[in-house]
Amino acid sequence: MSGEPAAPGGRPAPTGTPVPAVLVMHGELGAALLHAAASVYGEFGDVQVVSNEGLEREAIEARIAEAVAHWRNGGLVLTDFWGGSCHTCALAASRGHGDVRLVTGVNLPMLLDYLHNRGAYGVDELAERMQQKGRDNIRTQRSPAA
Amino acid sequence: MSWLLHRIDDRLIHGQVLIAWGGRLSPVRIWLADDAVAASDWERQLYVDSAPGIDVRVVGVGAAAAAWGDEAAAAGGAFLLVRDLATALRLVEGGARVEAFNVGGLHYAPGRTRLNDYVYLGDADRAAARSLLARGVRLDAQDVPASRAQSLAVLEPTLVP
Repeated sequence: MSGEPAAPGGRPAPTGTPVPAVLVMHGELGAALLHAAASVYGEFGDVQVVSNEGLEREAIEARIAEAVAHWRNGGLVLTDFWGGSCHTCALAASRGHGDVRLVTGVNLPMLLDYLHNRGAYGVDELAERMQQKGRDNIRTQRSPAA
Repeated sequence: MSWLLHRIDDRLIHGQVLIAWGGRLSPVRIWLADDAVAASDWERQLYVDSAPGIDVRVVGVGAAAAAWGDEAAAAGGAFLLVRDLATALRLVEGGARVEAFNVGGLHYAPGRTRLNDYVYLGDADRAAARSLLARGVRLDAQDVPASRAQSLAVLEPTLVP
């Protein structure tokens, strides 16, 4: 057996400080995702939200940079879609922070996976996990016969 | 005529451009005319990567004005983006025969006053808008295709020469 040290329940043991994250999304989506996540996961603090609403690029970048600047060992910038201002401003604002990872296309299962595992994995592993979790949860199904 | 949209937007390539306008008009090329972005390797790459499947050409304003006529005659549809009214004016002065600019987003910053939810102008913006209108270039505020286009000349009649 190799890989993560297993804790009861199959989840790796906490490795230290939880990986921090900021949600950078359009409109009220970031705040709404946090609200929805709390209803499933329970209350949690310390996940930041930046909305791009009504802001020019420099202002969006400044808000993201402020969040990232507090991170001592990297963290995750979680955005809604690839190519949007949230994504490209996150790239610009995190430039030079080699320990920051961006994840685009973030949905509720991905955010919940982050909350469950942010104390158990490092930044890179967590980002990879979230990508896989997001993909795994997007499925299509025919409605069952009556 | 390949040109589908000439747009003034301080966010340059972003969701409204790719998804709302792009979904409606299906450009195969996006010209981003901006001296600062064109001079920065990482910023240029950022915008090239932001639009998978679209040929993004990041060039200085002079080069964009020079290429405007050849692009107009090329196959496939194209967008042109600039970040502000002053750049739009330079493009026109440089020889681009643009009939109308879509004014898609000039967001609030200190010193700018509101025309609508997504257009705020400062003194330099107003001066450039007056010059463009005086040249007969239309300036139509419209963030996304689903919203109503409104002429800047109607939103702020004092811009009309």
